[in-house]
Amino acid sequence: MSGVTQNSEPSTGDLARIESYQHLYVVIEHEEGIPVPVSLEMLGEARRLMDNFNVTYSSNEKVVAVVLGDNVRHLCQELIRFGADVVVYADNHSLKHYTNLLYTKIICQIAEDKNVARSISPNRFENYKKPRYMFFSADNTGRHLSSTVLAQLESGLASDINKLVISDLEIRHEHKTKGQPVKFEKTLEMYRPDFSGFLWTTILCLDNRNPVTAREYHPQSCSIIPGVFEPITKEDQRTGTIIDFEPQISDEDLRIKVLSRNIIKSTIDFESCKIIVSYGRGIRDSPEDNFKLIEQFARALNAEIGISLPISKRPYQTKDQHLLSYMIPERVVGTSGRKVSPVVYIAIGISGAVQHLAGMKESGFVVVINPDSDAAFRDECDIFIKGRLEEVLPTLTEHIKKHMLMIEKRA
Amino acid sequence: MGRYDCMPVRPLNVGVIVKLEPDFSEGNVSYNPDGTLNRAETKNILGPHSAAATLAAFYCKVKYDAKVAIGTMGPPIANQALRQAQLISNADELHLYSDRIFAGADTLATAEVLRLGVSRMNNGLGADIVISGHRASDGETGQTGPQTAWKLGYPFIGNVIDFHIDQEGKSIYAKRFISLYGFYDVIEEIQAPLPVFISADPSYKPSFNTISERLSLARNLNEARNKADNFEKYLQVFNSEGLGADPRYVGLPGSPTIVYKVEKIPKAKAKRRVEFVDGNDTVKLDMVAKKLIQLMTEAPIK
Amino acid sequence: MERYDVAIVGGGTSGLTALRQLANLGKQAVLLEAGNTPGTKNISGGILYSKKPKNGRVYNIEDVFGREFIDDAPYERPITQYILHATSKDKLYSIDLTPVHEYQINYAYSVLLSKLIPWLAKEASDMSEKMGGGIISGVHLRSVRWEQGNSDIVIDTDELEPFRVKALIAADGVNSELAEVTKARNKFSSEQLYQGVKVVIKLPETILEERFKVTSEEGAAHLFAGDVTMNHIGGGFLYTNRDTISLGAVYHMDSLMDNPIEPSRLIDTLIRNKLVAEFVKDRVPAKKSSQALISKDEEIRQHFMAVKLLKNWNNLRSEYYSRDGIKRLIESGKYGTKDEIESRIAFLENELVEKYNYEFGDNYVELEYSTKLIPDGKRCRMKAPYYKNILFVGDAAGRGVFVGPRIEGLNVGIDDAVRAANAVARSLDRNNFDEQYLGNFYTKSVEESPYTRDMKEIDKDYLKIFLDCSKNIPKDIVGSRYGMIFKLMSSGTLRGIAVGFANMLGFDRLLPLVESVDTYVNVPVELADRLGKTIDSNYVPTTPSLQERIAKLDYNDDSIPHIQVTKPRSEFMVKMASLCPTRCYSYENGNVILQHEGCIECGTCAYETLWRHPRGTKGVSYKYG
Repeated sequence: MSGVTQNSEPSTGDLARIESYQHLYVVIEHEEGIPVPVSLEMLGEARRLMDNFNVTYSSNEKVVAVVLGDNVRHLCQELIRFGADVVVYADNHSLKHYTNLLYTKIICQIAEDKNVARSISPNRFENYKKPRYMFFSADNTGRHLSSTVLAQLESGLASDINKLVISDLEIRHEHKTKGQPVKFEKTLEMYRPDFSGFLWTTILCLDNRNPVTAREYHPQSCSIIPGVFEPITKEDQRTGTIIDFEPQISDEDLRIKVLSRNIIKSTIDFESCKIIVSYGRGIRDSPEDNFKLIEQFARALNAEIGISLPISKRPYQTKDQHLLSYMIPERVVGTSGRKVSPVVYIAIGISGAVQHLAGMKESGFVVVINPDSDAAFRDECDIFIKGRLEEVLPTLTEHIKKHMLMIEKRA
Repeated sequence: MGRYDCMPVRPLNVGVIVKLEPDFSEGNVSYNPDGTLNRAETKNILGPHSAAATLAAFYCKVKYDAKVAIGTMGPPIANQALRQAQLISNADELHLYSDRIFAGADTLATAEVLRLGVSRMNNGLGADIVISGHRASDGETGQTGPQTAWKLGYPFIGNVIDFHIDQEGKSIYAKRFISLYGFYDVIEEIQAPLPVFISADPSYKPSFNTISERLSLARNLNEARNKADNFEKYLQVFNSEGLGADPRYVGLPGSPTIVYKVEKIPKAKAKRRVEFVDGNDTVKLDMVAKKLIQLMTEAPIK
Repeated sequence: MERYDVAIVGGGTSGLTALRQLANLGKQAVLLEAGNTPGTKNISGGILYSKKPKNGRVYNIEDVFGREFIDDAPYERPITQYILHATSKDKLYSIDLTPVHEYQINYAYSVLLSKLIPWLAKEASDMSEKMGGGIISGVHLRSVRWEQGNSDIVIDTDELEPFRVKALIAADGVNSELAEVTKARNKFSSEQLYQGVKVVIKLPETILEERFKVTSEEGAAHLFAGDVTMNHIGGGFLYTNRDTISLGAVYHMDSLMDNPIEPSRLIDTLIRNKLVAEFVKDRVPAKKSSQALISKDEEIRQHFMAVKLLKNWNNLRSEYYSRDGIKRLIESGKYGTKDEIESRIAFLENELVEKYNYEFGDNYVELEYSTKLIPDGKRCRMKAPYYKNILFVGDAAGRGVFVGPRIEGLNVGIDDAVRAANAVARSLDRNNFDEQYLGNFYTKSVEESPYTRDMKEIDKDYLKIFLDCSKNIPKDIVGSRYGMIFKLMSSGTLRGIAVGFANMLGFDRLLPLVESVDTYVNVPVELADRLGKTIDSNYVPTTPSLQERIAKLDYNDDSIPHIQVTKPRSEFMVKMASLCPTRCYSYENGNVILQHEGCIECGTCAYETLWRHPRGTKGVSYKYG
């Protein structure tokens, strides 16, 4: 199988076929009235891909955001500012909370609705069948939703994608092309890292061009890993089309009910922060004061705070409620707690027990601050600062603040 | 495809779909010199998420005296997954869906086979509740469960951490655990009519809270051990004809997606080489500060 | 609330014996075990004895589990040699105490509880299930209470809804929580306890048999006293299992309090004794430190390859050195001759040396580190081992026979368990659980046990055999210390009188004399110095660090701490900083602080803390026991 990028004129046969499948639909998730971060990231990538697409193929296909919920109209303009050309929304009390069956049905209704297609492209909707591409988020909701939507639309889905390319490919596949070389235009190459982390697998969703089992497969769809792509810089002046979609909901659909929804006390989000600052028993000489230094240091770096396991057992008598609130099992890094892999991991006053190391050794860059240069951590770090935290942290914090100020001035 | 009403008198019928996967634990997994998995040298086991799903079925067996059937699509050795699953769940029926034409299937084509298989479970009665794992350790898409559910016409509930069945009211009450990136975690309680399809959250652990449930648990585990020695007795193998499969919708022909290429991800991480810094050296500390800021503001390396 | 006839708390040898005995008598009983499965939280030295006393009778394990125990149970080896060594540096003076060991026994088997207990559990639960009972694991008892109007005991656990029973057997060990919540007895003090620290060491089967000169039906027990004890009262033991060795050091806790030394150091001292080092030696691979700078990816790849090769080498070698292993390998078709197997082993070694930077040499392979407290029955047995309708057995009741070289815990618990089960069955038949009918009856039964007699008085026949074995010891070494008493004891005619006199004085007054630094340290050291043989050993075993020992253990951490320090400044707690076998305590700024990493729930610190076991399935899990 080989890939070849070409930019030739489509034949009339192709033209008829192309126009059945148009646009990139992005399924948006929202919480508490705002889009979740990955939704804006997807719009950003969608925008970049389609801008390129429209130039390459001289066409005018759109990024279409799809939003379901109760009282979501206000989201639409925001989504346009973040790159959507069109926003289709379905507003209904029954859609207040995501349930798979109902959301799948309605998204498919939207995806296959020709009236919606007309509102998007008044000149090119006659042959419209389904979207060309579809994006979902690779989180709890998006993974399942994408699966059922694509089962209903009977097309292909690749999950956990972190790189996307649209190109024309010449493919020779025993089944898809009966062994013959066939050109597939406007193919979405969907890259996903495999389980080992070493390999990139590229998935394609392709029509069966084999005459025995000929079939069209669109939309080419994928679910996208949060935190991979960047949203576009918000454009307040951007305009677009907003379409109010009337969903068709049956009584049977309503038998699935969300009875309650309990937010678990806000968890420590180690996944999305770039720097984690952890501390251990090194604070023992003066826990309250030392913790203040650590907190200031972490704040300067916009870092989340982690702890070693012994700290979670609250070994120090202290009345300091603030300090106590940081000595909880949810903050433990290690085999008994969380496994983290931030860009930077800073360990303060932690000797480096095997169980702790196991929880952070995938980190990008590791800095250790410890007065004992024989600490086990020395074998698992990039920089070992030999010193007491009471002396090192204030100095480091000051330097960091100074440099940050300079950067802000320059910007 | 379609729903039917459960009769309250007969026992609950449970179906589980599982997968045989490479054993990734250290000492068992084998890698090729280029870092890719050496499947030939790596043992295969019942996938851990499939095991969680099996546990959920076991919960139904202990608590509701349910009938449990376990199915898997795969080559002949996939029966090992079935054997392990029976040990966990004291299953009554084991199904292997195996045919050369199933090969090369992506999740949609796999779901087609599985939905045909599920409707033949429990002596053809199908299942009131079908359970799958959250995802497979090797393919890791997590798509097969929901797609099978859709094809069966059963509502899908994912990330289930706890559930119980109201046999009279013919419904399920399930607790789901949802992580909202950048927000918080939510536990949601949801009610749906049977039949239903759920995927067990990887953290799913059944709990049995009374002495009598625990004794039933011990009894079932014993029975399970006895059965597993003789598991072929409970095994049915279905090929494409046996399932009534349409060859256009299974295997490679039925797969919208293909793997186009596999390549190494360029990785720049070298072995960590420690640089020692004296904590009194303010000049050096300044350099460390600069380095931290640089790493912080760089675009994420993904 | 659900109601059952009997509950047994604790799935060790005693608890399981009680369960099976009750089932034998047709009674329903439910056994609660806090570990994930029975056998994961049990440690024994250990040797299991079956006895036939001349006067009176004891209940042995085969009386309850049947002949099947002797035929099928996975004990390790029959112990057929029992040798005591006096040590001083690299000199040893050995005394053959096999006749002492064989006194009134049917058999003695070395055991690893993590293997034995699951077998007992299956045998017990199979029978018990027929009576509507069984074993429930992963459940931790929180408290018990009695309600108005009846004698039922309501049991509260961390994991289950409360339920009621008519009678309860407490088999929950030396740190019994039932004893704690009912206040049926005081916590054991350090004068009443031994602390035993143990390691399980790997040694391939045929190498072991050759080294200890035993056949596959035999095993050896070696005891050590002298400088190995680092001046503590007690000694070391080494028991041969099938293809492992149980090696441990057991010392009076009060002698440890006088002279606190970390348990891991105590066991290291024993391991480094030259005879022990030679006993445990094997061919062991070690990775040389890498000079070449290789990429992280390459390092990971090499690591995986090496791990696989090591696994193959280990497996093949273990098979080669096991009984009939060579035959099995040839029959499998993989190898044609013994030579082929040997070359393959050599090939694997070569690969590891040439390609992956390993080297092979003399060392020993430590599999598991553990610690257990042992109640000294002579000093702390419960005189009336019950509280209302709860009966206490074995370690929970402070019962065990420890007299000189006689170390018996498991069999005492088993005897107690049968007596308790019989008493409970009798009460079930009459539906009478009053103290008079149940508790008192059980107490009388236990008093009649020859084991209880041995916890109270010296058995003169036992003494005679011991003295006969030690007749070659020069009188001046011993006599100068124990003078008159010793002279009396050694004379056959006067022995009876002497023993009677000694028993009148009571164990209490005699023991400090006998259980002293003189007996366990000075006398053996002098013996070894003067008469001992020099042992040659050309290697020094590399003992793992405490961190490494802890890293090998399996923990399921309980986020709720199960121990609370209430006296951070007491003398006792300060010593815990040394005596906790996993260094859970540190002494900082005058306060003792609990770090809690790696707690193995031995209970060494229980006396002055708020001490509970972790919740069900939590805490440490042993693989050998």
